[in-house]
Amino acid sequence: MPDRAPVVRIEGLTKRYGPLVALDSVSLDIQAGEIFALLGPNGAGKTTLIGCVSGLAIPTAGSATVLGWDTRKDYRKTRQVVGLVPQEINFDPFFTVEETLRFQAGYFGVKLEEAKLVEILEALDLGRKRKAGARELSGGMKRRLLIGKALVHDPKVLFLDEPTAGVDVELRRDLWAYVRRLRERGTTIVLTTHYLEEAQELADRVGMIDKGRLLLVEEKDRLLSRLGHKTLRLTLREPIAELPRALADVGAALSEGGGVIEITRPVEAELGSALALAVDVGLVVRDIDTRRSDLEEIYVQLLAKGGE
Amino acid sequence: MIGLEARRAGEPELVERSPRNEFRGPWTLFEKEVRRFLRVPGQTIVSPVITTVLYLVVFGYALGGRGREVNGIPYLSFIVPGLVMLGVISNSFLNTSSSMFIMKLQETVVDLLVSPLRYGEIVAAMVAAASVRALVVGLLTWAVAIVAQGEVLLAHVGYAIAFPVLTSVGLSALGLFVGIWAEKFEHVNLVPTFVITPLTFLGGVFYDVGQLPGVFATLSHFNPVLYLVEGFRYGLLGTSAIEPAFSLAGLVVFDAGLVLLCMAVLRSGWKLRS
Repeated sequence: MPDRAPVVRIEGLTKRYGPLVALDSVSLDIQAGEIFALLGPNGAGKTTLIGCVSGLAIPTAGSATVLGWDTRKDYRKTRQVVGLVPQEINFDPFFTVEETLRFQAGYFGVKLEEAKLVEILEALDLGRKRKAGARELSGGMKRRLLIGKALVHDPKVLFLDEPTAGVDVELRRDLWAYVRRLRERGTTIVLTTHYLEEAQELADRVGMIDKGRLLLVEEKDRLLSRLGHKTLRLTLREPIAELPRALADVGAALSEGGGVIEITRPVEAELGSALALAVDVGLVVRDIDTRRSDLEEIYVQLLAKGGE
Repeated sequence: MIGLEARRAGEPELVERSPRNEFRGPWTLFEKEVRRFLRVPGQTIVSPVITTVLYLVVFGYALGGRGREVNGIPYLSFIVPGLVMLGVISNSFLNTSSSMFIMKLQETVVDLLVSPLRYGEIVAAMVAAASVRALVVGLLTWAVAIVAQGEVLLAHVGYAIAFPVLTSVGLSALGLFVGIWAEKFEHVNLVPTFVITPLTFLGGVFYDVGQLPGVFATLSHFNPVLYLVEGFRYGLLGTSAIEPAFSLAGLVVFDAGLVLLCMAVLRSGWKLRS
């Protein structure tokens, strides 16, 4: 991936609303074919960043290019290859699902062929609502229609701004599967989400943004292994009053009234020796449990430290 | 994966360029706007025609219009051009202003803002669709008037077409600008209530401004709607208080100015992009 030119290049992008700095000189490359998750609390600048690339916001300084074209000077070309699923649900009550999709394709100069229309409707489980007015759709269906609208022109880069907000768990999983299929077909995907599970499930790389500053960009697996940890929990047959010294020396701790020993290590460290130590000092282990930290813990930890 | 290198070697063509594709964007927006007002024909076509026809009945018949003449023209025929223009003016303005404002309210304006439509294409499509509605209302009003008059009065076809068409373009563009500017429904209604309606009623629709006492006749000449009504009156009846070519030239300047203003506003992102 690194030897290829980025699909989206953001350089020194700054957006101010009066005294408020919504984006503070953000630079970021999005590589072809990846799923990039942008994480951050409300008001961090995620939507503004997406808006600056897709055309909804005008940057105060800096630039963004898509496939090498400047999003302001060559806006017709960049918008032709970008799809946006906005955070807020919008729909025109005058038109049916089919009309909505056909009009959206038309704005991009594309005639929506029947096969393509059916494919989108089926993929988003809207086939039975083809002739239904947008007003008749449930909240989840309206959100799926938004995704459909963003796909009608076969965008090379798809921006999903909180795509599964308000969507039930089953549908969320279906949408994740669809996002993966899009990626397999070559679509580059940038998503913002406050469901960290979503980023963990889908993303190849994650970026963390707070107060308009991009705190970190890293491959998800590397981030999890670099900042994540795993915990070995040994449940003892009999509670103990004091931790044996050999275990205390390797950083173990007693919990749950002396009934459980916990040993936390970096992800790549091995834990077998800690278990052997417990057996060696004569403890009888009734149960063994291991747990890995997830993106959420890392996220909370990073935000607390300001990204360091 | 995207074949980035292959595409960057030459000018990438992501949508095949053909005249049909080139015009599909603005045509789609035009079609959507036309279908939008056709979805509620009672509100967008029938109601304005009925309102205007009621004026025709009340002023042309009920209030003693029958038998009365203005400059040798039956009063009923005299008020027809003004009533047609009343429908054209208000419907062209209302279509674009309400459509753009509702798009903003529903946030469907995002669909346009992220599309590769040129700013001029957005203006052209929205203005053209509003003009269609305005001209349909105008034509239907004129058709009813023909039945009421019992004859077709069409003195100068060119002026009779040019004035309503160019008026609808200018007022649609004004409506689009107001729709972009408006932040609440009240803003959309400000212009029709406080500008268009008073100027139309005082613009010689129902009377000959030449018969007004001196100062009022002079003041009337500052009313732009007078020039539109008189110009169209010349087209239908062959008589006008104002030189129609002069009015037409002014109308073209007005249209061009407003269309350019709308394009500039869309380009700047004012009130639409953050």
